[in-house]
Amino acid sequence: MIALIRPDSWNFPLFVHVFGAIALFGGVGTLVLLSFAAERMPAQGVFARRVAFGTLITVVWPAYVVMRVGAQWIYSREDLHPDFPTWIAIGVGVGDGGIVVLLLLTLLGWLMRRRPRAGTLFAGLAGIYLVALGVAWWAMTARPGS
Amino acid sequence: MGKYEWLLFLHVTGAFFFLGGVVVAWVLGFAAARRELPSEIALLLRLTGAAAAAIGIGMLLTIVFGLWLVFDLDFYDIGDGWIVAALVLWLLSGTLGGAGGKRDRETRLLAERLAAGDDAPSGELQARVRDPIALSLNLASSLAGIAILVLMIWKPGAGG
Repeated sequence: MIALIRPDSWNFPLFVHVFGAIALFGGVGTLVLLSFAAERMPAQGVFARRVAFGTLITVVWPAYVVMRVGAQWIYSREDLHPDFPTWIAIGVGVGDGGIVVLLLLTLLGWLMRRRPRAGTLFAGLAGIYLVALGVAWWAMTARPGS
Repeated sequence: MGKYEWLLFLHVTGAFFFLGGVVVAWVLGFAAARRELPSEIALLLRLTGAAAAAIGIGMLLTIVFGLWLVFDLDFYDIGDGWIVAALVLWLLSGTLGGAGGKRDRETRLLAERLAAGDDAPSGELQARVRDPIALSLNLASSLAGIAILVLMIWKPGAGG
């Protein structure tokens, strides 16, 4: 019920966080579509992987930064220290773990322009990250353990 | 997890599918507008079909579970200004997006026809993929979706 009674001053940081998270979800969804299309249609694989890599750099990374900045901003307002509820732990896990995933995707995205095998790993990792983002928004809305 | 948490989760899931699908459609549409080969444009526009499906599913989830939340919770009323505004924007977004999507579908069919031929760059396809009417309809639809998100977070007049 916290969402129903939050102070007005939390609204903008929350908007920044949610907007970034939605853009991140859409950006990663685009990576999944393009990289799986590249797997299924080898004739256009090079092109689809190139667009996927461009999307990672120009959409996914900026969206991640917006999401993470918004998360830190709203977290600082909520004054939840020293307790670290389960739902925050899941959100922080997916959020901070996202940096490692995006760095790996960037490396694989660079490699897959010449090595199709890296493209398969890219598609799989992007798919897993998309599911992880779903788990994060489940935790943020359902707030298990709160 | 209680009933409220489930309803909120499914409502928010709808919002992520709806607006996340909008992001996918814009990214692929923007990429298509920068290409010349019909086969490349056709591939990108074909993938926007998944975005359209996500938008449709998302809109359905937002309206079903959003209304369920309104009728289930005592402190919201279907007549509240911000809820009425959200419903109007939801209808507007769906109508404008549907019209824009119809024009995009015609562009995809043209790209597929050209790709099945000699796959040579076409002035008509270039004009279609940058169609200002489709762009305007899609932009207005997207802005209406973002405005709904703003209303859902600020809930002006809800007093909480």
